[in-house]
Amino acid sequence: MSSDQDHLKETDTEARFEFKKEENSAVRSGKGLTEEVIRMISEDKDEPDWMLERRLRALEQYQNMPMPSGWPGMPDLSELDVEEIIPYIRPDVDKREGVDDWTELPDEIKDTFDKLGIPEAEKNALSGVGAQYESEVVYQNMQEQWEEKGVIFCNMDKAVQDHPELVKEHFMTTCVPPSDNKFAALHGAVWSGGSFVYVPEDVTVEMPVQAYFRMNSEGMGQFEHTLIIAEEGSEVHYIEGCSAPKYGTHNLHSGGVEVFVGEDAHVQYSTVQNWSKNTFNLNTKRAICEENGTMEWVSGSMGSKVTMLYPCTILKGRGSTDTHITIALAGEGQDIDTGAKVYHNAPETSSTIESKSIAKDGGRTNYRGLVHIADGAENSSTAVECDALMFDNESTSDTMPYMEIEESKVDVAHEATVGKIGDEDIFYLQSRGLDDDDAKKMIVAGFIEPITEELPIEYAVELNRLIELEMEGSLG
Amino acid sequence: MSAGTQVHANLTEEQVREISGDLDEPEWLLETRLEALEALDSLDMPDVIKTPGREWTNLHELDFESLVDPLNAAENKDQVGPDEADVLSWADAVQEHEELLKEHFGSIVDPQENYLTALSTALFSTGTVIYVPEGVDAEDVAIRTEQNSRSLFNYTLVVTEESSSVTILERQSTGEEAEEQYYSGVVEVAAGENSYVQYGSLQNLSEEAYNFTVKRGVTDTYATIDWIEGNLGTQLTKTEVSTELRGDSSETQIVGAFYGHNDQHFDLDAKVWHRAEHTTADLITRGVIDDISRSVYEGVQDVGADAWDTSSYQRENTLMLSDESEADASPQLIINNHDTEASHSATVGQIDAEDLFYMTSRGVDPRSARNMLVEGFFVPVLEEIDVDELRDDLEELIGARLRQRD
Repeated sequence: MSSDQDHLKETDTEARFEFKKEENSAVRSGKGLTEEVIRMISEDKDEPDWMLERRLRALEQYQNMPMPSGWPGMPDLSELDVEEIIPYIRPDVDKREGVDDWTELPDEIKDTFDKLGIPEAEKNALSGVGAQYESEVVYQNMQEQWEEKGVIFCNMDKAVQDHPELVKEHFMTTCVPPSDNKFAALHGAVWSGGSFVYVPEDVTVEMPVQAYFRMNSEGMGQFEHTLIIAEEGSEVHYIEGCSAPKYGTHNLHSGGVEVFVGEDAHVQYSTVQNWSKNTFNLNTKRAICEENGTMEWVSGSMGSKVTMLYPCTILKGRGSTDTHITIALAGEGQDIDTGAKVYHNAPETSSTIESKSIAKDGGRTNYRGLVHIADGAENSSTAVECDALMFDNESTSDTMPYMEIEESKVDVAHEATVGKIGDEDIFYLQSRGLDDDDAKKMIVAGFIEPITEELPIEYAVELNRLIELEMEGSLG
Repeated sequence: MSAGTQVHANLTEEQVREISGDLDEPEWLLETRLEALEALDSLDMPDVIKTPGREWTNLHELDFESLVDPLNAAENKDQVGPDEADVLSWADAVQEHEELLKEHFGSIVDPQENYLTALSTALFSTGTVIYVPEGVDAEDVAIRTEQNSRSLFNYTLVVTEESSSVTILERQSTGEEAEEQYYSGVVEVAAGENSYVQYGSLQNLSEEAYNFTVKRGVTDTYATIDWIEGNLGTQLTKTEVSTELRGDSSETQIVGAFYGHNDQHFDLDAKVWHRAEHTTADLITRGVIDDISRSVYEGVQDVGADAWDTSSYQRENTLMLSDESEADASPQLIINNHDTEASHSATVGQIDAEDLFYMTSRGVDPRSARNMLVEGFFVPVLEEIDVDELRDDLEELIGARLRQRD
């Protein structure tokens, strides 16, 4: 490890859950979901009419859609009461679209992010950081060199104002329409904040673009929208991190992510999700890949009470490629139901899904995946590999892959294994002088290594630290 | 959906009473049938897999009103076995083994599990009961059912006592063909302590027929139930083969083979529930689909919280011979005990082009080469079949179907 990660060592990760700021919001919506609330959000954001119309239509769709039901082994959503969630809170920041300079931020927000280690990461020459606090992105910065090349990275609300044509065309139209599912519809109605990334033709953004989302207030919902447009031949890596403090009532996070991967373009989307353990994390994330485009999803799911998240790639263009690498860790009271969806809709497309999960202290992990190979998607291939590690007998680990193969000239393989942590491995490490705790930590670190090595080092270190923290006290 | 509406219109309590009366059944059996009939209204079709925008098997379009003809059941049946074991027709079993029936009938497959099991329970008119006393090895039990009527409802019960063993070979075929026929079968197996049950089944019904089958076994300590399941016939088959490993150190193997062509649709479930310690399961299924046929495979390995030291393996491979066919698969693991070694794998693909090239380059004509490769594909499954007769029959049927191909 280089000194680049020193700030992470000094950041007490556990403190993320323990400190919470006195709420000092400028605008705060009422609880629940009404046309009035939607209009208020839209008005507060000074949105154009077309966006308000989209919100209201999504609200209508939300109201007409049933909750998901009948899925085998579906996580329990009965404690989630959307009507009790506050969908919109704007922190008291002078400039609504965020500030350019870190020093302009209110102290309490700065303080929060300081504890999260965000500015340090930014200082370490990362290209841009957008930090979302409650419903608004309050800070972002972007190195000038990218701006000169025409790269846009801004707050999603700002994009609606500044780049209406791009947003109009791509925002919840073909990729994630509100009709997709109940929570996509909810998101379409109340979305706020998030990131907008536009990379012009043949531009490579060498440094990862980062955003950090945090929920601070009790009983709130966070509905950030991320829209990434990578034009032909471009390349970008977007990273988001999420956290929220612990509260007694339930929080809801229902984000929306839409990624447009142009011809020959390459997008990597990495997430480290560490919501507090009262959060319902119900997201819709989807990418559409044009010819020879490449989409890579890398995600670590540590936190939340319930996560239902199946990032989806539609391989629309010939020769396009998708990679999913996911790791899930479920501890006490957690149900992490996550996986991947891939639609092979063109010839010569390929996908790889690698999923690792760890269940302990009564937690449940489930890999739920769908691979669909359409008729005509000849010479396509897919390989799915799921490995689950279980620590104790209170935990549950399920695997539910679904494969729909309509084309014969394909190569489809699925493999899954479940096992306990190996007594022999532990014994071996103990015989080499490690105590039981350290031995287990080391085995877990080895187990998840294929994931962490895909992440930029800061996030890999953070992920490792989070897992270490999760493991502590539960062992021995 | 709330199912029952279509069939109830032409089904009456009198018909059920008549079926039961003809078989001279005791009152409790009639009651079970009547309760199942009454439950039809509130029961759903068997579960099928649903993914966004589709249901993998559509059972709702089956027109039971025209398919089910409760009082006209005709069949040609052989039920033979060695003298040491009882292999009885249902009517005989009702007379000779009432206590056995009372204990086991409906205890493994709940008559009201779904709409189709209830329909089967209310209307079955034929069946076989196999009872193997303690210590007896019953090698060759054969059940052959040739369906000659529009609908036929069949029930099979196998009970093995301690340290006995039985090998059962069941064949289903169509004699007199009607345009559409419906065959429904429920099989319950209660394997006693340290007993061994091998149940082979070869379904080769008419390709106009619909088939619904549930085969389920329960093991006692040290017991083993091995299933062999071959599916070739029907236009629509929905079948489940499953074992609940209820006794410590019990085992099961489910071997499946299928070959679909034309517009056949096979929905095949293989399930195992580990409910005791040191239990072992091995599920292996291989199938070929051709033309516009479709296979749906669901495999479930469910390890309960009390199932310590479990081993559970599952493999499913589908070979696609045509572009218009579709292969759907969902091999699932449900693991509630960490002291488990479980794995599953599934593949879908076509005949390997290199293999084909290799064989043709050695002078084998392309058609024979393809047929040999398909036959070779089934070998890992055929090797698992211990019953020579069943293996030979299956091989022959596969070969015949391949030769039909252009």
